Amino acid sequence: MGPEHLLTALLLVPLVGTFAIALSPEPWARQISLWLGAAMVVISALLLANFNPALAGMQFVEQVNWIRWPFPVDYHVGIDGFSLALVALTTIVTFAAILASKTVGETRPRLYYSMVMLLTTSILGVFLSLDLVQFFVLYELELVPMYFLIAIWGGPRRDYAAMKFLIYTFFGGIFMLAALLFLYYQLGQAGAQYQTFDMVKLATVSPLLAKQVQLLGCLGFMVAFLIKLPSFPFHTWLPDAHVEAPTPISMILAGLLLKMGAYGLVRICMGFFPEALVTLGVGLMALGAFNIVWAAMACLVQGDMKRVIALSSVSHMGFITLGLGSLSAAGLNGAIFQMVSHGFISAALFFLVGTVYDRCHTRQIKEIGGGLARQMPTLFYFWMLATLANLGLPALSGFVGEVTVFYGSFMSPVAMLPAHHTFVHGTIIFACTGVILSAGYMLWLLKRLFFGPEQERWSGHLTDARGWEVAVASILALFIVGLGIYPMALTSQYTPVADRMTRDVQARTTISLRPSQVD
Amino acid sequence: MNLPFAPQEIIRWAPLIVALPFAVGAVTILGVWRSRTASMLLSAGTMFYCFLHSLLILLALQQDPSLGPAQTNWDWFVSSSFRLSMGVLVDHLCAVMMVVVTTVSLFVQIYTHGYMREDPGYSRFYAYLSLFAGSMLGLTVSTNLFEMYFFWELVGVCSYFLIGFWWQRNTAAEAGIKAFVVNRVGDFGFLVGIILFLAATAGFWGQHPLLIFSDPQGFDLAGAIRYAASQGTLTAASLAAISMVMFMGPMAKSAQLPLHVWLADAMEGPTPISALIHAATMVAAGIYLVARAYPIWLTPDGSTFSAGLAFVAWVGGVTAFVAATIALSQYDIKRVLAWSTVSQLGYMFVGLGTGAYTAGMFHLFNHAFFKAMLFLCSGAIIHHLHHAMHVDKETRKKLDEVSLMDRMIPPDQDLRNMGGLKQYMPITRWCFLVGTLSISGFPFLSGFFSKDEIISSSFKYQGPGHDILFWLLVVTAGLTAFYMFRAYFLTFHGEYRGGGTPAAEKLSVINLPLIALAFPSILSGYLGANPEALKQLLTGAAPTAMANAFAQFLYFGHAPEYEALNGGVMLTSTVVSLAGIGLAYLVYINKLPVHTWCQQNLKPLYNLSWCKWYFDDMYMAFTQKLALPVFNFVWNLVDMAVVDNVVNLSSFATLGTGEALRYSENGRAQWYALVIFGSVAVIGLVYFLAQPLS
Repeated sequence: MGPEHLLTALLLVPLVGTFAIALSPEPWARQISLWLGAAMVVISALLLANFNPALAGMQFVEQVNWIRWPFPVDYHVGIDGFSLALVALTTIVTFAAILASKTVGETRPRLYYSMVMLLTTSILGVFLSLDLVQFFVLYELELVPMYFLIAIWGGPRRDYAAMKFLIYTFFGGIFMLAALLFLYYQLGQAGAQYQTFDMVKLATVSPLLAKQVQLLGCLGFMVAFLIKLPSFPFHTWLPDAHVEAPTPISMILAGLLLKMGAYGLVRICMGFFPEALVTLGVGLMALGAFNIVWAAMACLVQGDMKRVIALSSVSHMGFITLGLGSLSAAGLNGAIFQMVSHGFISAALFFLVGTVYDRCHTRQIKEIGGGLARQMPTLFYFWMLATLANLGLPALSGFVGEVTVFYGSFMSPVAMLPAHHTFVHGTIIFACTGVILSAGYMLWLLKRLFFGPEQERWSGHLTDARGWEVAVASILALFIVGLGIYPMALTSQYTPVADRMTRDVQARTTISLRPSQVD
Repeated sequence: MNLPFAPQEIIRWAPLIVALPFAVGAVTILGVWRSRTASMLLSAGTMFYCFLHSLLILLALQQDPSLGPAQTNWDWFVSSSFRLSMGVLVDHLCAVMMVVVTTVSLFVQIYTHGYMREDPGYSRFYAYLSLFAGSMLGLTVSTNLFEMYFFWELVGVCSYFLIGFWWQRNTAAEAGIKAFVVNRVGDFGFLVGIILFLAATAGFWGQHPLLIFSDPQGFDLAGAIRYAASQGTLTAASLAAISMVMFMGPMAKSAQLPLHVWLADAMEGPTPISALIHAATMVAAGIYLVARAYPIWLTPDGSTFSAGLAFVAWVGGVTAFVAATIALSQYDIKRVLAWSTVSQLGYMFVGLGTGAYTAGMFHLFNHAFFKAMLFLCSGAIIHHLHHAMHVDKETRKKLDEVSLMDRMIPPDQDLRNMGGLKQYMPITRWCFLVGTLSISGFPFLSGFFSKDEIISSSFKYQGPGHDILFWLLVVTAGLTAFYMFRAYFLTFHGEYRGGGTPAAEKLSVINLPLIALAFPSILSGYLGANPEALKQLLTGAAPTAMANAFAQFLYFGHAPEYEALNGGVMLTSTVVSLAGIGLAYLVYINKLPVHTWCQQNLKPLYNLSWCKWYFDDMYMAFTQKLALPVFNFVWNLVDMAVVDNVVNLSSFATLGTGEALRYSENGRAQWYALVIFGSVAVIGLVYFLAQPLS
């Protein structure tokens, strides 16, 4: 099989896996899914090897016509540097999550692993799709396995959390659907030859639509993606879903699902509706900055360690909104980096929270009381690493995205508009205070869990990391450190895409700029 | 003198000095820690190599100054609009700093072998020491501001690790968080300053690496400022504003008011760390940053009479004074030294701020050696008393209770438990005395030279409030002499007041580094001595010679700076210092009841000193009583009550039947079917409605 079918192969692995696991005997389920997970990692490595980062267009494209009437729907996949980065992230985090499912997957393993595979299919599908209808279907498909994974393997309030997750996401889905049809209809108004769901074509034709139309279309998609991201005021589903979800599912939820929203924001809102984004940019930046600080502030007053990590995800996703809204090359580059980096860091953090929960059977920081370092020295090292990565320490991946987003948004063309100048700069300096808050809540959390004298109730009851736990944490740590020390390994893949997208948007800015200051 | 290697080769391999300690730190954490000996040998051996290499670099640059500045840059994050890079820059300033860092590191690593021998975390400690050395050396060789920020945070995190090294102690953990968060506040300013600076010089950099310190083609900080000033995007006022915001970084890292609160608490860490990180090297990073990025603190046309530097000088001057007053009343030997560090760092900033670039860096150089030695002495004392007081478990427990409950100081660090140690610990005593004399500015010891130069430059200074600044420093010099001799007399003279009997001190791996460091503490000042200038001063001839020979290899701009000696100022500050020493003698040897008199009649002033000017109380009240409760209230109100309910309510209402369905086991499947069919229906409906009407 040549490299041209790699993407189809990548999609087929988890899809076939879903059914294969469902039909296989229970004890085989974990083994099969581990092999499939490894296979996906191998395929994404092959993709990386065959990928040409110098091209800004789509590669490995495959297109098969599927439905002709009443509108054409194709099976259409392809990737550019941006989606490649997220595909690689997906396969690695999924593999880590499967590895981390050792204890969770002991109850009803067939159903569990089969659902995980279905979830992976949906996530990969979103990043690979080049047909808007296919994109939408796969985007919504994720609801099914996620709902069951939370509702069956979740914590005590799992029903509430699963339902809340379902309703929020479904609510967003309706907006996306409406926007999708609105877009199709409006293109039809312009002429039948423009009517298409082909995302590559859409990226060239929809920017030609009238500004008001773009604005409306963009808003529809944006609501869906902002809910998924999540962003204030649609973020309250996230802490609930996380707290109730089992550990590996939290890893996937924070590491990958949120990235679907971020991906959509860049690919669709920015790619299809540049004119709208010029208008909405300031608002997005303000929203992002608010998210960063608001969620960080919320982290400081949580009593549940998983909630702290969940809300810190909201805070870190704010960087993506901020970078995207800035419409500058540095901002978008940073935002994309942040997606990948947050994928690894949040997966690592949720996994580590899981390890403590497994041992202490409580998530309440007060009940744990500190002093865990004595009995869990190896896990303490990993906790320390993930904590520092999350607070944006240089040489770990979290720093790169944050710093470039700050830089990019400050140099944003949006800020060059005299009316917005002070507001934007004020907003970014406000967002920068997030770095202080994040250091505060993360180190405080670490202190309350690991530092201090050993608690009597835990002495002799806790074990340090087991082999598979070290494996999961090491895989994620490897990428966190690697990307932090040498970010070019990742950025060189997607920079051409991000630079081209921002150029396209900036070409539409009606703001007159001094040429020297165009970023 | 002939160097053993070609100078070009020596400089070409400079990156090794940074890379090796990192590598050693990493392998130690990953596995070498299992062997204590291997961890120690690997770590100390690497540091010995780094020490030799830095020395060779300094000598090579001395021999052939045209070799510097030499730099290599590697791309780190590149997009079409900007290029962030990492690199290694070798020039005189960096070479001097590397020698300081590696010398102190080396001696501290040797000392650690004795001090931490019984600690279960011995190997881990060496790993952290290596990581710190790598980060600090990385900061030293940074080619650009961004890279410096990168390593700036890394040294900060190493400091966090090492302060919280004994993680079982709550106080240590809290001190670690405090250090990191306060430093984060500074880093916030540093970052904002960098970004503001970039925004002001946006069109300048093109595809050149951003924020380079020095570049032969002029694509560096100074060039950027000239360009931006000519474009009108940067004025003197905006540059001063940027430099003040950026100065928050040095304020936190070098413990200057009002971000100085973390340094005294950082003494919770093991003493070798206090010597290395919190006295000699890391806390000097702030001074190094200002020295490195000096153009930012100048006016756009390069004059030292800028608002930015005036701010630096004043922050330094006030800090020097405040910290010295606090040190007067403290009883924890390490904290006395910590406050004196804060005060001395203030002096260095005054040096830089008043335009005496060489003097500021010179004081950094001298201070590193004698302060490291003083801390290592205090460690030796603590180590010694720890064993002395451990007569039996009961005595020790009683001592601990008294000290920790009432005094909040471990008994073996409490000056009130010491006294008379000169007969038990003669080696430490002499070393401590050398350090004390040096820091007090006793004539012809190293501290005397650099401190007097700073004081005389503040005398010449023409900026705002120069008279006050000068007298502030002179008074501080007197206070310094007083509190340092107070510590010395309380420790070594009089009767022993602690429990047990201290053993006689033997020559060991703990006091050998002290003796080694005593030499630079006495002599390092002579690197700056210039007989020519002294002769001119004594004969009354017009000063033409450079006062400070140190300036030959350490100056800013294109020619060594002219800093003449000032006999009057030297005499004034020396007399004031001697008076301080004399007063301390009267109070602590002749038992003049000044202390009790102050406590009774100057209660508010005494409390101001004892309670460290209430900075900690204010900050604690702000976070615990104001910020956190407000956060809690607002978050509960907005997120939990308003947002969650409004959004939940509307969505639950929209999808009305959802609630009912979720209770039955079958409901899930039905619900899902509803979702699927519902969406298909909506698709169809909307599509139908969206058809053109024609």
